[in-house]
Amino acid sequence: MSSKKLVVLGLLGTQLDTGKHAHRWKSWRPTVSLCQHDDLLVGRLELLHDRRYTGLAETITTDITGVSPETEVRRHVVEFGDPWDFEEVYGALADFARGYSFDMENEEYLVHITTGTHVAQICLFLLTESRHLPGRLIQTSPPRERQPRHLAEAGQYSIIDLDLSRYDRIAARFAQEQKEALTFLKNGIATRNAAFNRMIEEIEHVAVASREPMLFMGPTGAGKSSLARKVFELKRGRHQLAGQFVEVNCATLRGDTAASTLFGHVRGAFTGAQRDRPGLLRSADSGLLFLDEIGELGADEQAMLLRALEEKRFLPVGADQEAKSDFQLIAGTNSDLSGAVAKGEFREDLLARINLWTFVLPGLAQRTEDIAPNLDHELENAARLLGRRVGMAKDVRAAFLDFARSGEAKWSANFRDLNAAVTRMTTLARGGRITHEVLSGELGRLRTGWKTAPGTVVGENGDENALLMSALDAEGAAALDLFDRAQLACVIRVCRDSKSLSEAGRRLFAVTRGKRKTANDADRLRKYLTRFGLTWPCANHSPP
Amino acid sequence: MKARVKTTTSTPVVIDGAAGEGGGQILRTSLALSLVTGRAFRMVNIRAKRAKPGLLRQHLTAVRAAVEISDAACDGAEIGSGELVFRPEAVRAGDYHFAIGTAGSTTLVLQTILPGLALASGPSQIVLEGGTHNPLAPPFDYLAHTFLPIFNRFGPTVEATLVRAGFYPAGGGQIEVKITPTDRLRAVELLTRGTDSGRRVVAHVAGVPANAAERAFEQADKRLRWGRGVCEIIEHPTERGQGFVLVGEVASEGHTEVFTSFGERGLRAEAVADRMVEQVRSYLAGGLPAGEHMADQFLLPMALSGGGAFRTAGLSPHARTNMDVIQAFLSVRFQVTELKNGGVEVRVPCGN
Repeated sequence: MSSKKLVVLGLLGTQLDTGKHAHRWKSWRPTVSLCQHDDLLVGRLELLHDRRYTGLAETITTDITGVSPETEVRRHVVEFGDPWDFEEVYGALADFARGYSFDMENEEYLVHITTGTHVAQICLFLLTESRHLPGRLIQTSPPRERQPRHLAEAGQYSIIDLDLSRYDRIAARFAQEQKEALTFLKNGIATRNAAFNRMIEEIEHVAVASREPMLFMGPTGAGKSSLARKVFELKRGRHQLAGQFVEVNCATLRGDTAASTLFGHVRGAFTGAQRDRPGLLRSADSGLLFLDEIGELGADEQAMLLRALEEKRFLPVGADQEAKSDFQLIAGTNSDLSGAVAKGEFREDLLARINLWTFVLPGLAQRTEDIAPNLDHELENAARLLGRRVGMAKDVRAAFLDFARSGEAKWSANFRDLNAAVTRMTTLARGGRITHEVLSGELGRLRTGWKTAPGTVVGENGDENALLMSALDAEGAAALDLFDRAQLACVIRVCRDSKSLSEAGRRLFAVTRGKRKTANDADRLRKYLTRFGLTWPCANHSPP
Repeated sequence: MKARVKTTTSTPVVIDGAAGEGGGQILRTSLALSLVTGRAFRMVNIRAKRAKPGLLRQHLTAVRAAVEISDAACDGAEIGSGELVFRPEAVRAGDYHFAIGTAGSTTLVLQTILPGLALASGPSQIVLEGGTHNPLAPPFDYLAHTFLPIFNRFGPTVEATLVRAGFYPAGGGQIEVKITPTDRLRAVELLTRGTDSGRRVVAHVAGVPANAAERAFEQADKRLRWGRGVCEIIEHPTERGQGFVLVGEVASEGHTEVFTSFGERGLRAEAVADRMVEQVRSYLAGGLPAGEHMADQFLLPMALSGGGAFRTAGLSPHARTNMDVIQAFLSVRFQVTELKNGGVEVRVPCGN
C-alpha cells in the first residue's frame, strides 16, 4: 500500500445501508463495512446521497465514527430524481466528478460500486473507466455463511483496477489472442521478414479496432485476396462481422453488366434483365467485400461505390428505390492509383476514402527469408491435395532455396509461381520424393517462364503454355482450369519423355499401381487423355 | 527466537516479527519495552507468513499511541508495512485521548503505553474510546479486576473506570484511566491461589432479550453451584448496537481471575454460559494462581522489576514469544521450572 491517503467515493445504499436501533448492527451494511476492515484504512469517505435520505446518512456517519475514528465522512447531496434513469444519473455523477478536486499527489481514490441502483453502479463504472473518476473500483460483499462473525463482521472487499494490463493473466490472454490472430493472418506460416510481420501486426490491429476500408497494394500473387479473406475470417471469429465474404476482380467487370453485377438491378431494367438481381454489394451486407484491381472500375461505378461507402445506400440499375448495404470494404490494386487520379482515370475522393489504411504487400522476391516457411507450407498443402506426403531431401531443398533466393529467381507472379512450382514438383515426384532430377527440370521451367513471359499471371507459365498449346488448340487450352492446366502439362511432359503409353503410365502411376490387382496404367492414362480429347500419338508427339 | 542484545543503546534492537506467535503481541511488547527503556527497535518480517501480511490497523493504533506519548520518530507505520523502526524520546506524563476503532481494542492500546506511563515523572489521565468488550482482546472486566490489581502490586496506582461499554462491532465505548506512577517496580510473587474470597457472574447486556441473561445464569448455576445470589445483570444503552458478554470471576486472597464468554448470533444463552464455565473449571482444577492471560501479562513488569515469580498451569506459545522479546530488550533471563504436581513456575532470579 502507498502512503497516500485513501479516499472512497460512494453512494449511500438506501436499501443495504439501512437499519434502525440496535438491530442495524446485525445486518451487513456495505458503506459501514468499508471502514471495518483491519487492512484497509479509509482516510475519508465521500458519501453521496439524496436529500430525502439525510437521516440515514447521518446515522451511517455516526456509526463510521464509532468503528473507525480515523475516517472523516463528508456528505454530499446529489439529486437524481429518478435513480433508474440512465441519463439523469450519469449526468449528476459526472457533474459531481467534474466539480470534485482530486488531489492525485496526496490521495488515492476508490469508487464503491456495491451500493446504489444498478444504473448508478453502471454509471460509476463508466465514469471510472473513462477516468472521469480517477481511481479504482472497490466492491464489498457480506460475510460468508460459515465464517465466525466476530472475525468477519466486515465481510470481504475487492479492489478492481480497470487498467486490464495490470493483471498478468488477463494480459497474457490478450497477448495469446493477438498471437493467434497474427498466426492466422499469416496462414500459419512462421514468416521471418520483419517488415512483413510488422505489417501483419498493423493489419491485425486495424482489423480488430476499425471498420474503415483498407487498401492492399502489391504485385499479382502477393496474397492480397488470401489476406482479405483471412481478415474477414478473423473479424467473423470476433463477432465483428456476421455476413459473407464477397470477392470480385474489377478487371472482369466490363461494359453494361459491371454496374448490375456490383449494385444489382431490378427486373426489366434492361434487355435480358428477366429477374431481380441483388448485386455483390447487397450480398456483402454486414460482411466484407473485396474489390481486387479496383483501379479497373469504370467512372460510373466509382461514383456509385463512393456513395455506397459514405451513406451505406445506393441505387440498383433501373430501380427507383435505394438499396441498403453495410459492408466492410477491402480494395486491392497493383497499379499506381495516385497516378490514375492524376490522369483523371480514378476519382480522387474515392481514393481518399479507401486510402485510410493502406498496406503494401511485398512480392516474394522482397521476402526471400520467407521462401523457406512458404515452401514448407506449399508442400503440406500439396500433400493434402495429393493425399500423400511428398518429401524433399535436405540437399535438394537447399538447392531449391539457393535458387529461390538468388537474383535469378524473379518470382514475377510471386506466391502463384511458388505454388505452381511446388505443384509441379510434387506431381512429378516419384516414390514420394522430389529428386535432383525433378528439381533441375523445375528450375529450367521457372527460368524459361520468367524469360519468355515476364510478369505473366496465374500459371500462364511459358513452358506450361507451350506444352499445352502443342497438344491442344488455343481454344481448348484456354478452357482449362488452372488445376487441370498444371496436371495436364505435367502429364504431357511425361508422355513426351516416354517411349510408349505403358511406360508413361508406369511412371505416372508409379505409387498406386502396386496397390492395384491388375496394372492397367496404360488404360488409366488413355482415359485421362481422352477427357481432354487427346490420343497417345498426340501427347507423345514432340513439337518440331 | 534468538534475539540479539546490543551493547550500546543507540543501535536499535532487532525483532523478528515472523517468529513465534502473535505478531500483534510482539509489536505491543516491543513498543512497551522501548517506551520504558528508551531503546529504539526495528521490527522486520512483520506478520510475514500471514494471509494479510504486514501491519494492520489494530497495530497502527498501538503504534500511534506510543508515538504520541513519547514523541517517537517512527518509520514504516503504514498498513501492509513489513518493517517498522521506532525510536522514542522520554515518555511524557499527561492527559491523553485516544480514539480507537473496533479494529483495535482499548485494552490492548492501554497495555502498550501503561508500563511507560507508570514509570513516568508525573501522573497521567487517559481517555480511551472504542471497543471495551471485544472477543479478540481482554475485556474491561479483566483489565479492572485481574490485571490492574496485580499491576498495582508492582508499585504504581492505576484505576480504570468504564464510562460506556463498547461492544463489537459498533464500538463507541469509553474507558478512563488514572495513573499515579512509581520510581521503580518492586518484585512481586504470585505463587499460590490463597483462600477463596468470592465468586461472581456478571452479564453485560445491551438490546438482547431479558431472559437471555437469566438462562445463562441458570446454566452457570447448574454447573458451578455458585448460587443465583452471585449473579448480576449490568444493562447498557442500546443505541450503539447489541451486546451480550458473560463474565465469571474467581476471587482468591490477593488475586482475582476473570473468565469471559461472548454471545454470538445463533448461539444459545446456555452455550454462552458453558464456554465461561469450562474456563472456570479448568482454572480451578489446576489450583495455580495465574491464568493463561495473566501469565502472559505478568512477564513484562516482572522482568522490569528485576525479581519475582509466578506459577501457572502452563505457558502458552504467546507467553513464550513474549519472553523472547523481553529478553531481547532487557538483560534478564527467565527461569522456568516444571512443578511436581503439574504447571510451571517462572522466576526472574534476584540480581539477574
